[in-house]
Amino acid sequence: MVCPFLEYRRESIGPESEAVRERAFDEPRAYCTAADRFVQAMRADICNDRYELAHDRDCEIYLEHAGDERFGSENGEGTESEEDPDR
Amino acid sequence: MTASYERYLDGDPLIVTAALTGGVHGKEANPNLPETPEEIGRAAAAVEEAGASVVHLHAREPNGERSFATERFQAVDDAVRAHAESVVIQHSTGGTAAPDADRHLPLRTDPPPEMASLDMGPLNRYEHLTSENTRGLVDSLHEEMVERGIKPELEVFNDGHLNEVFGLLERRDLADPVYATLIFGPGTLTRPRPRNFLNAIDNLPEGALFNTLGFGRHQLPFATMGILFGGHVRVGLEDNVYYRKGELATSNAQLVERVARLADELGRPVATPEQAREILGL
Ligand code: SF4
Repeated sequence: MVCPFLEYRRESIGPESEAVRERAFDEPRAYCTAADRFVQAMRADICNDRYELAHDRDCEIYLEHAGDERFGSENGEGTESEEDPDR
Repeated sequence: MTASYERYLDGDPLIVTAALTGGVHGKEANPNLPETPEEIGRAAAAVEEAGASVVHLHAREPNGERSFATERFQAVDDAVRAHAESVVIQHSTGGTAAPDADRHLPLRTDPPPEMASLDMGPLNRYEHLTSENTRGLVDSLHEEMVERGIKPELEVFNDGHLNEVFGLLERRDLADPVYATLIFGPGTLTRPRPRNFLNAIDNLPEGALFNTLGFGRHQLPFATMGILFGGHVRVGLEDNVYYRKGELATSNAQLVERVARLADELGRPVATPEQAREILGL
């Protein structure tokens, strides 16, 4: 199961560092809605639970935001979802 | 250390390796970082023109994510060869969290790369990942490199990995000269201080050549020390996305041009790809 905070987007105006604030890509790219930024290539493997990786164990951003109410309904998962016991 | 400083005094040619892409960050960190085969091919030509004799390559998916597939490396190599005929191709075999079997895939292009990286031990990533690089994996990658005629570039993330180099030399026959990249930066890397650089040089096996790599803002000062102490240098957007504080680099070539200027001022001409092949015994 991929991380519920993961979206694939072409553009962002997320609050990244000044130099890289606005981004537009040809291909949709892994975007973290919890951190409001495109994620690094290596981290995208965590977001997608590739190999033996698990976003709910290996991503500190997920662990920090897992109880964030902003995302409870948007992601179709309540804070007590049985599908996601770490929340 | 004396022997390596003599290489400086003798004005030995300097091998500049350009690490064009990497496997951690991408265009989200610097839009000038090449990700597609065509972008990487053009970047290879530009860095060769600027003075690099070796390109260190990773492969990506079209959306910028990591790929270890032989086919993706093949596409990158084909593009590099279309734009830069003579530069030495070095593949990464790094891959935090990837299965060991996938780490071999970059060695299987046709032709094989002339060089490939060989990570000498564990490296922590983010808060919860470690690239383990067990001795078993190091040995199996080395074995396949020998079979395919690929020169290993031993990546020494910290001083403990210098012990691992000696251990590898006890377990395996390595072709001369042994070539090790000494890496300085945050986290698991050797703490980036000049004393540690001198210490690392002192602790290399007899006759080994070294490549110098500082991460981020340490790239320029450590490259300068590498030039002065008779080593070689690696620069590029894989390891450093800035030209100076707060200013993103405009290209890999911009970073190569700067070390080539420095090398020239300090009396070490940059090596051509042919000279690099001769120095490294490729
Ligand atoms: S960075 Fe972490 S929290 Fe964000 S989408 Fe990826 S796994 Fe989820």
